[in-house]
Amino acid sequence: MKKVKLMFVVSLMLTLVFALAACNSSSSTNSSSGGGGSKDGNTVNVGFSGPLSGPAAFYGERTLNGLKMAAEEINKDGGFEVKGKKYKINVVSLDDKYLPNETGANAKRLIQEHKTPIIFTPHSGGVLALQVFNQQDNFIVGAYTSEPKVTESGNKLTVRIPPRYDGYIEPFSEYTMERFGKKIAALPTASQYGKDWTEKLLPHWEKAGGQVVYNSAIDFTKDTDFFTIVTNALKKKPDVLFIGGASEPTAKVAKQARELGFKGGFIIMDQAKLDEMKKVTGTYEALEGSIGVLPLVDTQNPGTDQFVKNYKAEHNEDPGSEAGLNYMAMNAFVEAMKAAGSVDDPKKIREAMDEGLKNIPEEKKVYVIPGIEEDGGFQSDLIVGAVEKGKIVPIEVE
Amino acid sequence: MEILIQQLFNGLTIGSVYSLVALGLTLVYGILHIPNFAHGALYMLGGYITLTMMTSAGLHYWLAIFVSILVVGLTGVLLERLVFHPLRHAPPIHDKIAAIGILLFLEAFAQFVWGADYQSMPTPYDKVINLFGITFTSQRLLIIVSAIAVMILLYLFLKKTFIGSTIIAMAQNREGANLVGINTNKVAMLTFMISGALAAIACSLAAPINLVFPGMGHLVILKAFVIIILGGMGSIPGAIVGGYILGFSESLGATYVSNDYKDIIAFVLLVIILSVKPTGLFAKEGR
Repeated sequence: MKKVKLMFVVSLMLTLVFALAACNSSSSTNSSSGGGGSKDGNTVNVGFSGPLSGPAAFYGERTLNGLKMAAEEINKDGGFEVKGKKYKINVVSLDDKYLPNETGANAKRLIQEHKTPIIFTPHSGGVLALQVFNQQDNFIVGAYTSEPKVTESGNKLTVRIPPRYDGYIEPFSEYTMERFGKKIAALPTASQYGKDWTEKLLPHWEKAGGQVVYNSAIDFTKDTDFFTIVTNALKKKPDVLFIGGASEPTAKVAKQARELGFKGGFIIMDQAKLDEMKKVTGTYEALEGSIGVLPLVDTQNPGTDQFVKNYKAEHNEDPGSEAGLNYMAMNAFVEAMKAAGSVDDPKKIREAMDEGLKNIPEEKKVYVIPGIEEDGGFQSDLIVGAVEKGKIVPIEVE
Repeated sequence: MEILIQQLFNGLTIGSVYSLVALGLTLVYGILHIPNFAHGALYMLGGYITLTMMTSAGLHYWLAIFVSILVVGLTGVLLERLVFHPLRHAPPIHDKIAAIGILLFLEAFAQFVWGADYQSMPTPYDKVINLFGITFTSQRLLIIVSAIAVMILLYLFLKKTFIGSTIIAMAQNREGANLVGINTNKVAMLTFMISGALAAIACSLAAPINLVFPGMGHLVILKAFVIIILGGMGSIPGAIVGGYILGFSESLGATYVSNDYKDIIAFVLLVIILSVKPTGLFAKEGR
């Protein structure tokens, strides 16, 4: 009996050890002297809290890759100079499993252990959680979310990196309504973000003279097959389908809609990326008539080609806008620190953001961002692309 | 009418996948007497191995499935030997904790080896067939036909062969089976092997219509739990019938009631069935 007990304890511990070891390997591997540039006087810690395990892990990793690439490049050039002192960047990443409460706990840890003046987080829930205490605890939230709410609340230390999604609604509806027709069926992802998008899009569609024939969310974490829901949506004979969520499952929905005989166009939520969707559908033909965010590899900015090349060399895949925009944001923050003459005063850094964005060297401009709005949003133009005759074409938006 | 037939077909497809997963779960229940929480992870592992065999080793779909069956089956045996066998005299709660541990381990392992991103599994059966306004794809037809074939084979194996009946004997009474000379260790390993193989088949068939990712086991495992409760714990016909009941209730419920409530419909059905037959549809006799 004793032996059995011992074996049980050993096996359980082994399981635990392995599980923990495996968990660990995916989260932060960074360790530094800590202490925001005080100990060796040369390191600025920048925090990141995002999903690094679980179903959204790949998304968290891609955003983190952009930040890390920017940091590595800056460090390779010998760091950056503020008030005569050279600093290096150290990205401290923690896993929050996409859960806002974990983001909050991680942020507390980051500011206490690493004194990070900036914490990046790539989801709206996490941003809203951080906004509860970021002004008291004095750190900037690097918000990678297109949710307009995060900058509407008047938080003074929030920087919204991507363009707000409500800008897409008009050009998307105009394009598809003109090309395909007035009937839309909405099959967005069943997240808060998906719901918010839907609630903005559908009223606009109706106001523009369209008709909503079907509206139901798909839960990508629960549904094994989308045939049932797509069949029901297509029964109402829509001209346009509104779909969205993570790129790959969204692409499956589009593919199954084609299999079921759908001939119309797709409005694609900005979370999904056309080039990533193509990997699932095989060709752009299945996505004919889609309108969405223009893939990074198809944009023509001064720094795009170099960035795509470097990213591909390191990660063996095309970068998406989440890597590109976070790369820009990290560069902007570093330039802002230079302009502010401070690496640890978030208020000064935030005030110098506009100058920081303007100072980004031309060859690093993966996107052209002329400045920052009063409310903390980057002033980027909407970059929209559509699939026409099996090819991605950029669509001009005012 | 077309919609009804289309949705029946959709329900049949998804029900076949559910049934296969539930079958593996219910077989192991006979040995462990607890639901094996790690079954969803074995399902996921099956998908990844088939995918890797197809993309890296360049094997044909069927060969890849065969390799996957072997590997996941052996993983099942390994789990029995290393984890559950040493725990056979421990209270059931230990089995549960161990199973959850395995689940966490395998998911983290998959993310470590294959990465966290979604991958799509190519299939040689990508054709779309349109008949009388109803859409079939060959992959979906394949799911249904293969699942039914596997179920028939399993049934014949359990009922008509000597080894098969030892599995049933052991599920009914472990000590009794031991007394009449059945090698319970061997049977336990065999059962885990079959259970792993069923998970691998189910996932390899279903993966081309969805995606392969570390958390994919969660899509089916909770539903498989519902199915074996609904069908009667440890009952083989219960797992099959339960799987199809859930498949049809999802597709028809989403069509004629509301897509947003389709999970509720499945659970209401569960409540009704359990109120009438508290042990499930096909409660096991002889225990």
